[in-house]
Amino acid sequence: MTTALVLLLLAAGAYLVAVLEAWTASGRFRLAAPVVAGIALLGRESIVPRKPDRIFFEVAPVLLLLSALLAAAVVPLTPDLIITDLATGALFINAALVYVLVALLMAGWGPNGAYAMIGGWRFLGQLIAYAMLIVMPITAVVMRAESLLTTQIVASQASLWNIIYQPLGFVLFFVAAMALAFLPPFDLPTAKGELAGGVEAEYGGVRLAVFRLGRLALIITLAAATVVFYLGGWQGPWLPPWAWSAIKILAVTATMLLAGHAMPRIREADLLGWCWKLGIPLALLNIFIVGILVLALP
Amino acid sequence: MNIELLLALVTGAALFGVGIYGALSQTNLVMIMMGVELILAAAMVNLVAFWRYLHPDAAAAQMFVLIVMTVMAIEMAVGFGVAIARFRAKGSVEMEEAAELKG
Amino acid sequence: MSAQAFFIGFFGLASVWFGVVVFRTHSMMRSALALLFSQTALGALFLSMQAEFLGVLQIMMMATEMSIMAIFMVMFMMDPGGLGEMDMTHQKRLSLAAGFVAFAAAVAAAVFVDWGPVASVAPDAAQQTHDLGVELLGRSMLIFETAGITILTAMIAATAVAMPPVKRIRNK
Repeated sequence: MTTALVLLLLAAGAYLVAVLEAWTASGRFRLAAPVVAGIALLGRESIVPRKPDRIFFEVAPVLLLLSALLAAAVVPLTPDLIITDLATGALFINAALVYVLVALLMAGWGPNGAYAMIGGWRFLGQLIAYAMLIVMPITAVVMRAESLLTTQIVASQASLWNIIYQPLGFVLFFVAAMALAFLPPFDLPTAKGELAGGVEAEYGGVRLAVFRLGRLALIITLAAATVVFYLGGWQGPWLPPWAWSAIKILAVTATMLLAGHAMPRIREADLLGWCWKLGIPLALLNIFIVGILVLALP
Repeated sequence: MNIELLLALVTGAALFGVGIYGALSQTNLVMIMMGVELILAAAMVNLVAFWRYLHPDAAAAQMFVLIVMTVMAIEMAVGFGVAIARFRAKGSVEMEEAAELKG
Repeated sequence: MSAQAFFIGFFGLASVWFGVVVFRTHSMMRSALALLFSQTALGALFLSMQAEFLGVLQIMMMATEMSIMAIFMVMFMMDPGGLGEMDMTHQKRLSLAAGFVAFAAAVAAAVFVDWGPVASVAPDAAQQTHDLGVELLGRSMLIFETAGITILTAMIAATAVAMPPVKRIRNK
């Protein structure tokens, strides 16, 4: 029952993300656009390129969708609306989201195309850049909550949200989450303009529809995770918990989509350099500061 | 004899056998490393099985698994470092061609 | 037969099968990802043995490790796509024999050793994670820190080995 409800909400969320994405990209707000685009995609021919690695080619879009859904399983939307409250929830989100990389590598290698393959390997480099910046801020969040349970993490922010308690961690996590969802300016694997769609280039029809749906589910899941880790989850005055969750998640999604819209695409080498030379020392500093705060303010 | 423990240990044994076969039969350094990874994975299965069925209260047993994971990571880092150096010097990482390292 | 035994058997079989696929396929990408799925199945096996933290950690760590393995395979193998069907093995019979002997010896040890009383319940996941943390930063801290230093040393050493030799220009 809970599972079905969460899946339904995710589908609705993914739909709204699609609307928002079209709005930020083109400036036109049309509620029906994703339905039209979806029907058009489903009606189109799903071409299989010559000499593909058939297993990878077929599995990749499904794996992308699956990893986003698995990560969503441990994100609480209200105190009760969570599929499974794992005792290692904060770690499990990472574990599920790493498979985004595996899906993109498969999608890159499978279709036997040069652009797709470059896109896939680029995302491996991107993972090496952002992975630490996902894990280390979460470590600081977990230190404050003294638990890996996601519901416990939300409960720990009752007095003060983590965005104020550890703003540095929030900024790092936010940027890393954008890189994980390959949103612009980090859309290296799908770079429109230079790679002609990259990992998406050889996909069409139903497979592309599943791939895009997986990407949308990934964005909404990451926004929900940001809300849980830094914005106090379902907490807030006057409105019921579900409304607060929905408002915050949509606000974070819109910020993510708008933030990168005006920026130029970042270069692979710059991304790696900044993440390792600037991001990781800052993340360690964040852990240090939070450690002192946890000890000083019980 | 507990059936779950036996199944886990047999899994470990099978992975160990496959790993030994891979490490000995492959000619490429990267493939040999895959064999070694399987051997270490077999060690991890056994450690977890021993923790679960013999000493569930000893957290040190779980720590051993973390150490084995660290060993895996170190093995990968050093192995790939050597592979890159070898590839840069000789243009391949085939072990048949590395006979001069025998000493 | 309990549900736990069924899941251990299932995931064990899956991981061994994927482990065999690693050395049976010609495509290097398939080989690396087969190893990844072998390790993921092991993670699931840990989960079915109620070692929740270790299972999730295994699933997370191995995905990154094996993906990096994949790019090195593609970089260094002469036939990464496997379309040339090159034979990349040697001393096949000896290796098969050695692998089989190792398997038989380990199984014999597993069957004939008296393992003593078997515990039926494990601590719950939250308790385990807590105990592991206390263990890591308490009694076993030295071992853990040594592991950390070792991995740092390995990272630096590997980078140093892998960097291209620089020709130094002496100024005067």
